[in-house]
Amino acid sequence: MRAEQIAKVVPTAEGELAILAGIDLEINAGESVAVVGASGSGKTTLLGILAGLDQPTSGRVLLADHQLTSLDEEERARVRGEHVGFVFQTFQLLGSLTALENVMLPGELRGDANAEKDALELLEKVGLSERSRHYPRQLSGGEQQRVAVARAFASRPTVLFADEPTGNLDTATGQRIIELLFDLNKEFATTLVLVTHDDRLAQRCDRIVEIEAGRIV
Amino acid sequence: MKLAFVLRMAWRDWRSGELGLLLIALTVAVATVTSISLFVDRLQQALVSESADFLAADRRISSTRAIPDGFREEAAARGLRQADTMSFPSMVFVRDDTSQLVSVKAVSEQYPLRGVVRVTDEPFTAGEVTSDVPARGQVWLDARLFPALGIALGDEVEVGVARFKVSKVVVQEPDRGGSMYDLGPRLLMNLADVPSTEVVQPGSRIVYRLLLSGDAAALEDLKGVLPLEPNYRWQGIRESSPAIGDALSRAESFLLLGGLLGVLLAGVAVALSAHRYARRHYDHVGILKTLGATPTQIMYAYVAILLVIGVSAVVLGLLIGAALHVLIVLALQSIIPVALPMPSMRPVFLGAATGLICALAFALPPLLHLKNISPMRVIRRDLGGAPRSQYMSYVAALGGSLGLLIWYSGSLWLTAWTLVGTAAALLIFGALAKVLLRGGRVVGMQAGSGWRLALAGLQRRSGENTAQILIFGLAIMLLLILFLLRSSLLEEWRNELPDNAPNHFILNIVPEEVDALTDMLEESTERRGDVVPMIRGRVLAVNGIGSRTWEQQHRGVDAPGPSLRSERNLTWAADLAEDNTVVDGSWWPADETRALVSLEDEYAAELGLSVGDTLSFDIAGRMVDVEVASLRSLDWESMRPNFFIIFSPAVLADFPATFMTSFYLPTDQKRFLNMLLSNFPTITVIEVDAIIAQVQRIIDRVTQVVELVLALVVASGCLVLIASIQASRDARMGEHALVRTLGGSRGLIRGSLLAEFGILGIFAGVVAVVGAEITVAILQVQVFELSFALHPWLWVVGPLFGCVLILLVGMFGTRAIVSTPPWAVLRESEI
Ligand SMILES: Nc1ncnc2c1ncn2[C@@H]1O[C@H](COP(=O)(O)OP(=O)(O)OP(=O)(O)O)[C@@H](O)[C@H]1O
Ligand SMILES: [Mg+2]
Repeated sequence: MRAEQIAKVVPTAEGELAILAGIDLEINAGESVAVVGASGSGKTTLLGILAGLDQPTSGRVLLADHQLTSLDEEERARVRGEHVGFVFQTFQLLGSLTALENVMLPGELRGDANAEKDALELLEKVGLSERSRHYPRQLSGGEQQRVAVARAFASRPTVLFADEPTGNLDTATGQRIIELLFDLNKEFATTLVLVTHDDRLAQRCDRIVEIEAGRIV
Repeated sequence: MKLAFVLRMAWRDWRSGELGLLLIALTVAVATVTSISLFVDRLQQALVSESADFLAADRRISSTRAIPDGFREEAAARGLRQADTMSFPSMVFVRDDTSQLVSVKAVSEQYPLRGVVRVTDEPFTAGEVTSDVPARGQVWLDARLFPALGIALGDEVEVGVARFKVSKVVVQEPDRGGSMYDLGPRLLMNLADVPSTEVVQPGSRIVYRLLLSGDAAALEDLKGVLPLEPNYRWQGIRESSPAIGDALSRAESFLLLGGLLGVLLAGVAVALSAHRYARRHYDHVGILKTLGATPTQIMYAYVAILLVIGVSAVVLGLLIGAALHVLIVLALQSIIPVALPMPSMRPVFLGAATGLICALAFALPPLLHLKNISPMRVIRRDLGGAPRSQYMSYVAALGGSLGLLIWYSGSLWLTAWTLVGTAAALLIFGALAKVLLRGGRVVGMQAGSGWRLALAGLQRRSGENTAQILIFGLAIMLLLILFLLRSSLLEEWRNELPDNAPNHFILNIVPEEVDALTDMLEESTERRGDVVPMIRGRVLAVNGIGSRTWEQQHRGVDAPGPSLRSERNLTWAADLAEDNTVVDGSWWPADETRALVSLEDEYAAELGLSVGDTLSFDIAGRMVDVEVASLRSLDWESMRPNFFIIFSPAVLADFPATFMTSFYLPTDQKRFLNMLLSNFPTITVIEVDAIIAQVQRIIDRVTQVVELVLALVVASGCLVLIASIQASRDARMGEHALVRTLGGSRGLIRGSLLAEFGILGIFAGVVAVVGAEITVAILQVQVFELSFALHPWLWVVGPLFGCVLILLVGMFGTRAIVSTPPWAVLRESEI
């Protein structure tokens, strides 16, 4: 995956605000990268652009042979479905679906016949097979995040993006989530890009990229 | 994305209760429209057939010339049933010394095509239904002819040169109504006997009628092909009985309007619940998109969900609507004695189409919009919300309403009025609601904590609340409009036919009899009308121009209506009757000595007469010149004697006039007529009680339907309120949960919710009253042709009603907010 000269400028009430300015970044397949930086430095924005959720104001993003920046939303969605998985700070499970149904979603969207079986296996891996019929509101934060991790891997992603996956959890629970992420990462041989404030988590990655005021330092 | 997956998604949404309200709103829309139109359809058919009794047919062709055989052939070719009648005045003689002027009706075997003839063997008793007509050589006579002619059943009478045996007393025949002065006592005979009487001579005053009944389309078709003008008049119920025709068309307008408002309200409910559904799915869609769902997939998925819901709603709605309509029919069975005909298919189509159009026009746009939600929303909430412009929603909703309304009402004009009114109301009331909200905050500053919380909440979501006041206001306004219209319609009908209006008229009272007759009436009857002089005469010239020439110059040859030259009833009066209004010129003072005349305005208009013209009358062989002093408009629907031409008292003082009067007689005292006619054999009594009773019955029935529609529309109105409160529930939930975690008690929350809904209700009530007054004023004058009036009590009742209604619906809709533990709410909003 490669990003070239990415810039993001947004209009605000006080004029234009440059969030990212000329970011160059190359991440190899299977590599794990931690993006760190002060709050407000532009980490989340960068992640969104790398994952093809958002468009940069200028610059190019290449992900698994697709040039994301020249695709339309329809095509980008397809690339996301095929290559990208997400874990968010606020879990982002669908409240009206059970844990199992949440994990099945990526498979169902792909039209996978085995979606349910795969999902059950993944839930087993994150240790929640008995909770598969429970709704998110019936689960603790840590459990919800484990469901989210299972769902992220259900996409069988080439790249997994995680934005402060432990930000809302206590240290011990956070630790479990981290273990889980790295185990599954190894098992599925995914590329891992994670944003974190947690030093220990950052240390475990192959590489650390630090951002300050929209630039890599 | 596979269909199975879409269905699974729909099922999951349904399970979580998210689609419930949308389904309910759509179902209610379909059910309301279906049940109203099913019922109205059947009732209208029943009403039409009942009022057809007035004609003894569905349609008839009347003429002073014999009906050509070609007409009969055309009618037969269209499968229509036919009957013939001839009506003419004639003298009947008994034993050469007694005679009486009667109104003869000769009928063919098939008579009547609609309604029934009642006969009896003893005069002045209630009759029995018969399916026969008089046999050849026999006649049936009106009860009052028996005392007048001094005869009994079985006696013989002479009509023209033929002799007939009197075999029955005729109590009622369906098409007796008509002009009051044609109502001489009836003699019913067989059409085949007419030639033998030799009364039909060139110049005789005969009205030939061809009665028709059968398929409505065939009738209309026939009307199109016959060479009717200028000699043959085509008559339906509306032309022949304006009182009933008017009641019917007003009721139809009302039902239509009620149905329209019902559909609009249901549409609003659908739009509201679809918007809520869509808003709750922003996050949903954002997440699906991060998981790789493409915009196209999202769009198809939600369209499919909507289709599933739409189809379910149509099926459910049709079933519920049909069941509801059966319930209504059962409930009203005792009051609606007629057997209702089977409904046509139109209501079913209408119901189904309403559901689909509502789904497409009101629910689809917000759902389609979901495909544009940005996946970035998952990371940054403020992104990827609703884009500002929602033109598409509005355009679709407008187009949908327009289509539905036009189809439903079949009237572009009524639709345009309704829409323009609604749009204007929205604009004005938006401003009004904003002002009210701002005023509320100022007041709230000094209030207790529950109130302060409420007013703060109202102010914070002022955009949403303005919208909500509008929606509440609109719903309440529509209810008030219907209620007001209903009241004024019913009152108008009651006034037209007061229960104790005179139902008998006496004509041909000679001056010497006036006092004795008045005494007798005073003794035996409760209410009597004035004694009015009457004399016959015709116009010979206008402004010195012969009346034939005048008519050629001022009136189209084919123009229907009265001719100048025909003899008509004249009267004189010092004072203007209370139901007459002078529209041009002025009424004469009581002591006027000049020769003046006052004309009915439509009569004058058709003949080109105006104030200042001089008319030369031939009255009892003498010439009288009078000047037109005024034109009057009068109410022909009131069953009171009215005159086209009224003279000032001085003119006719020494002419040999007769007098007329009227009185009220309850049905069980009809035998009084026998005594009356024995004492005054030369007078003519006209009974209109049967006609009045018939009109009353029809109007009663129409009234019930009006009430029913009101009830159904109230139901859709409440649904809108619930939908609208549900739509704002999420925001309220979160806010109040937060207040409770910050230490607010349940009581405080409940108090503040109460205050919030109470205030919303009052504001909505004010908005509704303003709108209702304006709309009702316009509708009354423009559509229903009633008089305009303000309703001061409404200004108190309206806001109060709004307050109570919104409070009830609001507290019901949000009981979850008060009872759900705050952590559950906050936790749910996290997800
Ligand atoms: N759409 C936008 N409009 C205005 N400002 C924005 C927008 N998106 C991001 N920003 C601003 O850009 C800056 C970078 O935001 P970003 O969320 O990327 O930071 P972050 O490094 O992830 O911070 P944190 O560690 O607190 O999550 C912030 O100051 C944010 O307020
Ligand atoms: Mg961030």
